[in-house]
Amino acid sequence: MSTAVIYSFTSNKTAKAGQKIVDGFGKSLKLEVVDADNLTEENFLAYDQLILGVPTWFDGELPHYWDEFVPAMEEMDLKGKKVAIYGLADQVGYPENFADGVGILARLLRDRGAEIVGMTDVDNYTFESSHAIENGQFLGLVLDQENQARLSKKRIENWIEDLKKIFK
Amino acid sequence: MTTIPKVYTIKNTPKETLESWFRLMTLGRAIDDKAPNYLKQAIGWSYHAPYAGHDGIQLAIGQIFEKEKDHLFPYYRDMLTAFSAGMTAEELILNGISKATDPSSGGRHMSNHFAKPEWNIHNVSSLTGNHTLHAVGVARAIKYYEEKAVAISSQGESSLSEGYVYEAINGASKEKLPVIFAVQDNGYGISVPKKDQTATRKVANNFKSFKNLRIIHCNGKDVFDSMNAMTEAKKHVLEAGEPVIVQANCVRMRSHSNSDRHDLYRSEAERQYVLDYDPLAKFRRLLIRYKRFTEEEIVKLEAEAKATLKAAHKAALAAPDPDPASYTDFVLPEPYISEKYPDGTHEEEGEKKKLITGLNETLKAEFKHNPDTFMWGQDMANKDKGGIFNVSKGLQQEFGPKRIFNAPIAEDFIMGTANGMSRFSENIRIVVEGAEFADYFWPAMEQYVDSSHDYWRSNGKFTPNVTIRLASGGYIGGGLYHSQNIEGALTSIPGVRIVYPSFADDAAGLLRSSIRSKGMTVFMEPKALYNDPKAAAVIPDDFEVPFGKARTRRAGSDLFIVTYGNTTHHCLEAAEKLAEEGIECEVLDLRSLVPMDKEAIINGVKRIGKVLVVHEDKVHSGFGAEIAATIMEEAFEYLDGPVHRVGSPFTPVGFHPILERAILPNTTKIYEAAKKILAY
Repeated sequence: MSTAVIYSFTSNKTAKAGQKIVDGFGKSLKLEVVDADNLTEENFLAYDQLILGVPTWFDGELPHYWDEFVPAMEEMDLKGKKVAIYGLADQVGYPENFADGVGILARLLRDRGAEIVGMTDVDNYTFESSHAIENGQFLGLVLDQENQARLSKKRIENWIEDLKKIFK
Repeated sequence: MTTIPKVYTIKNTPKETLESWFRLMTLGRAIDDKAPNYLKQAIGWSYHAPYAGHDGIQLAIGQIFEKEKDHLFPYYRDMLTAFSAGMTAEELILNGISKATDPSSGGRHMSNHFAKPEWNIHNVSSLTGNHTLHAVGVARAIKYYEEKAVAISSQGESSLSEGYVYEAINGASKEKLPVIFAVQDNGYGISVPKKDQTATRKVANNFKSFKNLRIIHCNGKDVFDSMNAMTEAKKHVLEAGEPVIVQANCVRMRSHSNSDRHDLYRSEAERQYVLDYDPLAKFRRLLIRYKRFTEEEIVKLEAEAKATLKAAHKAALAAPDPDPASYTDFVLPEPYISEKYPDGTHEEEGEKKKLITGLNETLKAEFKHNPDTFMWGQDMANKDKGGIFNVSKGLQQEFGPKRIFNAPIAEDFIMGTANGMSRFSENIRIVVEGAEFADYFWPAMEQYVDSSHDYWRSNGKFTPNVTIRLASGGYIGGGLYHSQNIEGALTSIPGVRIVYPSFADDAAGLLRSSIRSKGMTVFMEPKALYNDPKAAAVIPDDFEVPFGKARTRRAGSDLFIVTYGNTTHHCLEAAEKLAEEGIECEVLDLRSLVPMDKEAIINGVKRIGKVLVVHEDKVHSGFGAEIAATIMEEAFEYLDGPVHRVGSPFTPVGFHPILERAILPNTTKIYEAAKKILAY
């Protein structure tokens, strides 16, 4: 099984979190790191397992590099692929659209046949609403470096432990 | 997250459509980027609010607008909106550098206020979101006349903090009007962030509980999401017959305007964050990524945009500047001219009618005369009640609830929608009871002031044809909110006629002239005289009183009294008393304050020499000051003593009858002032 971690190399916090995820997996899983800014359909489809870094921009939007890739993803057949999403978000500044980007991309990929893995608990976050929630869980890992930076390390570790059970 | 049909995508949109959008966006941005250079070179464009970052939604607003059918109210950041709606690059620059041929205002209005009234791209105020009420007003006409069209009010998200925007959206929801409120949300009102404006980041959601109102959120930086949102909004308005708010999330890539420095309040990281989502760069990348255009094709289009800008710049620079002698043009449109009653007098005999009857019958006659007349206000129409004083009694029964109706308790809404509705057709005439009492008119002042300069500001292309009826003055024991006069304040604002009759026939004649004229008229009704027999008069059925024609109510040669409104009767009573002493006073009832019958005043001064000016309003800065100063400037050598004024002191009008009597002028005070002048 091939696995890629895809995030924008020009991003700051998302890239740092991506690197921590790569470090966290260590040698337990072979990971390739791909730049979301220059993502192609071939690139994306080349992997069986994907870890996507999807921050939420503005009032609940995908960053432009993911948004520009949406028309391509809308025509993909993603059956058999496992996708885990992590996203940076701000529960104090943007409580009405907390981590919406994670939910937007998760639903889009699932609609194309992908299996979304790596759900996490919503406990210990305070916000008003989020498109990232389904059945009481986030559709991925949500990190809030603005307000809960000290919790991120543990959240990443726990998430990786969960993913290790799923990703081969 | 958008849940609207994807009519437009990067893959399915015809190439020629994509090309036309890219041309508009590229050239539009080139002008937006070039605008500051005009200021640096001292050519003009001293106010420029860059639109960069709003590209998607502005393109979309312009694209769904159908000229001469829909009505578009762009705000001061809407350059691409205007360009996308059909204005040319040259026209945008003509506005920017305030040339005489600027289609928006001929250089009269501030730069970056793009308009083309002949296409229904309306010339709007700088007051943020003030045009929201105009869009709602014109939408009322669209609905009444059953046009398949929409009104589009485009504005920043901060404007939703304004009370009148609430009034507008409430009215559109209540009346189910065909309006799209396109809210361009860039997160700032100049330097004030959204968090300091409202608790809800998606401010449109503050209106979620309104009935008959759909709210659509979209990405205003994205061409396709914006096009789909605006397309759906228009479709919904036309099919469901109810308003829509489209809140488009944008970024402000630059400062608010060229007098602002956003580096003073935005971090470098934030400024970079918004630059990273440059909508034009995104659209360009999409065109190439999805192979709709080659890099070479794009470069060619960009080169053509540069060439077009160069030619437009050259043509605009060569255009003429405004003629300084033209500033007196278009202050007020020409009034209705009475051929039968050129000086506004008559010799009719018969039964006298009360002032209130004169008004009521004239309203009914004018509403029969012109089917495009409408009237609304507070307490206007509810069973047997017609207006707070029943002036409009029976009108709704006769002309129906679509022409005569109640307005919410929102004076600004009453005024603003009157302005807006009259934009639909120049045949429309609107009468409003501006407030329950004149004293309550102040909340409408922003619309009043804005409407007062519409004609001038649009270089004669639009005038609101509105008669504002205001029950005015005291002598009813009404206190601070029911007995004041406000004409002293209103007469300082150019662009509106102001009349204040004191007899039933003049009231009827002036009301007819007001309703038949183009432009705005404030019609002050001395409410204490509505049913007073002393104001009753014989009224010819077709009586007309021209503006600016005073009427001599008593002839005399010893003292010349200039007055209007309630005090006309006090002056006549004082004159009668003085006549018993052998002193003959002439009493001139001005009837019109703006325009004022200067000729009648000067002639009276020349003949008589001693002058008393009387009005109910405060002496301090009251209209009498204008009369007195005019006499001093133009007839000083004919005076046989200083001009005296009688009016209220510089205080509010008290509620207790003792206080009211102490404050308001009366026959005794006038008599005593007259004696003083006569003894000079």
